[in-house]
Amino acid sequence: MLALFQNLFAPPRHMILLVIAAWLGLTLAERRAERHGVSRDDLNNLTFYGLIAFVLGGRIAYVLQNLSAFAKSPLGIVSINPDLFDTTGAVFTAVIVAMVYGQRKRLLLWNTLDALTSFFAVIAVGLGLSHLAAGTAFGLPTDLPWGINLWNATRHPTQIYETLASLLTFGLLWSLKANPRPGVFFLLFTSLTALSHLFIQAFRADGARIFSGLHQGQVIAWVVLAASFVLLEARFAKRPDRV
Amino acid sequence: MNQLQRIILYLLVLIAGAAWIALSADTGAATNEATSAPQAGFTAPDFTLETLSGETYTLSSLQGNVVLVNFWATWCPPCREEMPAIQKLYEEYKDQGFIVLAVNSTIQDNPAEIPAFIEEYSLAFPILLDKSGEATRAYQIRSLPSSFFINRLGIITEVVIGGPMSEALLRTRIEEALK
Repeated sequence: MLALFQNLFAPPRHMILLVIAAWLGLTLAERRAERHGVSRDDLNNLTFYGLIAFVLGGRIAYVLQNLSAFAKSPLGIVSINPDLFDTTGAVFTAVIVAMVYGQRKRLLLWNTLDALTSFFAVIAVGLGLSHLAAGTAFGLPTDLPWGINLWNATRHPTQIYETLASLLTFGLLWSLKANPRPGVFFLLFTSLTALSHLFIQAFRADGARIFSGLHQGQVIAWVVLAASFVLLEARFAKRPDRV
Repeated sequence: MNQLQRIILYLLVLIAGAAWIALSADTGAATNEATSAPQAGFTAPDFTLETLSGETYTLSSLQGNVVLVNFWATWCPPCREEMPAIQKLYEEYKDQGFIVLAVNSTIQDNPAEIPAFIEEYSLAFPILLDKSGEATRAYQIRSLPSSFFINRLGIITEVVIGGPMSEALLRTRIEEALK
């Protein structure tokens, strides 16, 4: 079953999973947008401009980081290679463009983030599945019976842990009927996602280590978790008429 | 849940999280390098293959150089498309210790077409024949072309599945591995 899945979505086809997740996530987010006080059109436009900015920003950031290489091969700037991409730059650009669009349309920040939460949650599931298909984000060797054979060892199926945790987070958020304050829905998503990453990263064999062995991903997840808690409490502390 | 209860819960979760980070600290990334696997961060699986003229190349004997192992076949259009860029950059970087091993996946190709292919693109780097499929299996090749950039220590730094690789992509990956 796993081998079949990995053959079907072997790189570079694993990107299809992310595209499907983005489409599904947007469809679900649209359904609930008005519940969060955001119109479907605004949500659609926001994600459209955000995704365009993500793609362009990722390429531009990559080019800027490798200027000497692109100076010798300038046609590479418009090459279709998806590997010429910087994810951090892509996210940064998408956030900036989304913020500019949101400000021009006078969208409320927390309401908009709440409306986008289903989109983010489904993307997280798609990301776990694409990791599984590509064999990336792989786990440490293990003797546990549910270990999977990957990169010449039996390993923790961290990609499956990641997918299940994301599904659980999505299911929990989707089942919530009421949102006590704008922003709580989104901050619950960031808290749960950071918490699951903090836990699962312990079983990951890849990724950078800092301060003599600490998983960098765990440290980042802990900081995100702490920030989410602070913001969550700030949202709860606001009087309902000032949210 | 009132505010005090929530704050206690946040603190407990954060303390437990910090303890979990400390408990799970390890050197997992370093152990990857001791294992041989076709993935970034691992030691490149070794192979010994022959060229058309019978010359033998062993990957591990090239340690100290930056090596691009490129799996290809004559019938594969993106493999054909990326060959001129590989040849161009091979000429440009070979003096800095850059080597290309172009492994023809001979188990899924017609060996008779290889000499014409080499001539068509004026390839100067070694073209190796994987007649038994040993290297194709060791590198778990599921798509052609597949390229593995290997640093001077024999560790895979980057894997590019599919193609064609543009000149810019090749250049950035080679320069990164040469650092």
